[in-house]
Amino acid sequence: MIGRAIVGAALLALLAPRPGYALEAFVTNQTAEEVAIVDLDGGRVAARVPVPGAPAGVAVHGATGKVYVTSPEGPALTIIDAATRAVEARMPLPGGPLGIAVAPRGDRVYVADWYAKRVLAVDAAERKIAGEATVGASPSGIAVTPDGALLAVADRDDDTLSLVDAATLARVAAVPVGKRPFGVTIDSEGARAYTANVGSNDVTVVDLAARRVVGTVPVGERPYAVALAGGRGFATNQYGASVSVFDLATLAPITKIPVGEYPEGIAASPDGRRIFVANWESDTLSVIDTGTLAVIGEIPVGAGPRAFGAFLR
Amino acid sequence: MTPNRRTLGLALAFAALVPLAAAAHGPSRKKTTEAVEINAPPDKVWAVIGNFQDMSWHPVVEKTEGKGGNATDATRRLTLKGGGTIDEVLARYEPEKRSYFYRIAEVDPKVLPVTNYSATLIVEPAGEGRSKVEWRGAFYRGYPNNDPPPELNDEAAMKAVSGVYRAGLDALKERIEKGGS
Repeated sequence: MIGRAIVGAALLALLAPRPGYALEAFVTNQTAEEVAIVDLDGGRVAARVPVPGAPAGVAVHGATGKVYVTSPEGPALTIIDAATRAVEARMPLPGGPLGIAVAPRGDRVYVADWYAKRVLAVDAAERKIAGEATVGASPSGIAVTPDGALLAVADRDDDTLSLVDAATLARVAAVPVGKRPFGVTIDSEGARAYTANVGSNDVTVVDLAARRVVGTVPVGERPYAVALAGGRGFATNQYGASVSVFDLATLAPITKIPVGEYPEGIAASPDGRRIFVANWESDTLSVIDTGTLAVIGEIPVGAGPRAFGAFLR
Repeated sequence: MTPNRRTLGLALAFAALVPLAAAAHGPSRKKTTEAVEINAPPDKVWAVIGNFQDMSWHPVVEKTEGKGGNATDATRRLTLKGGGTIDEVLARYEPEKRSYFYRIAEVDPKVLPVTNYSATLIVEPAGEGRSKVEWRGAFYRGYPNNDPPPELNDEAAMKAVSGVYRAGLDALKERIEKGGS
């Protein structure tokens, strides 16, 4: 059995598409009004792309190489080509675009309007608004299931997680979570969503099929967002200047890792070996080794990095 | 780029009808840092500013009342000269770094036009018996929705916070260098 499992794993590794590019982070530097493209293996900024309007949210689509960035004070959506580092388009949007996610197929981009109870669905090819979903108050983080069928939206000022049918844009559920949920992350199976609750200092775990809460994990002060790797959850604690680590199976807290000041956006490398954390106050990206749970690097990136969303490719 | 008039009207009507929730805020957090060099060793400077329950070194603070000392979650109420109060909570106290981190729990935007405010005070060595004091703030503007009035916009928030820091740090320098404790 063990042999078969190893062969299976090796086959999977062979079959998995290998990207023809090095791992990069696309970090929204809100204060500097730019996107810093960070070479994560080299540990340095490879390019800077000016993006006006206090850019905050980011969603990278690996296969198409498109980087979608929200500017709440544009208000606008900026589309950057990851390979050429050029701005392809800048699309005015209504309201206060903040949270953003891209559909797995890359055909749609979902943008939360901080000032209204809605999520806009943008047609990625046509670059126009194709529809909107009604959600709760101050929608912030958005995540999409791997099959593209369901959106999860953190309704910050309603203390709920909205579940939205991606095809019809109908809100199919509003699951009560902790206080002031901000970031939301869905696991690779599309089974569970994790909200970071700024107001109650915890992470709520939601079963997406059952549409109910299966657990709550206490974390540090003012958690912002969650990343998942190697059977563990990692939550940035803005006021704690740390990352809380917890076990995804038992939901038991494991440890807290000190990082820079005001850690916000967080993401795991595709191989799950590293976690990257944007430190808004320190203007850096902390690198965590998920094996040792130690910080193995800190990369200066520019003023006011938020990296709110899926910022790696 | 101009918001359409109907949307704007609705937003204003909405804002007028709904009491502003304490934790609601605008889309972009701002940060500002002010610093001062003081001709005194860090321990001496920390002895003046390192007690969360004593903000008497700041010229606009009339009195400090609080509880919990310097423990996490300790509270203080600053009463300002000329009126107004600010309620604050200690979030992190690190005497080994000569630093503490606190947040505002409650303030009238007329007193300080910010929401979701937090700040760090830190004293660092600056060589040869000298110190550098940094005061770093993070906050959103006082008006949480689109199209803030001028007195509650980002610029007003930045100006107010920077002004408070500058006044405090300059007074601190003067007090310590002129032989105060």
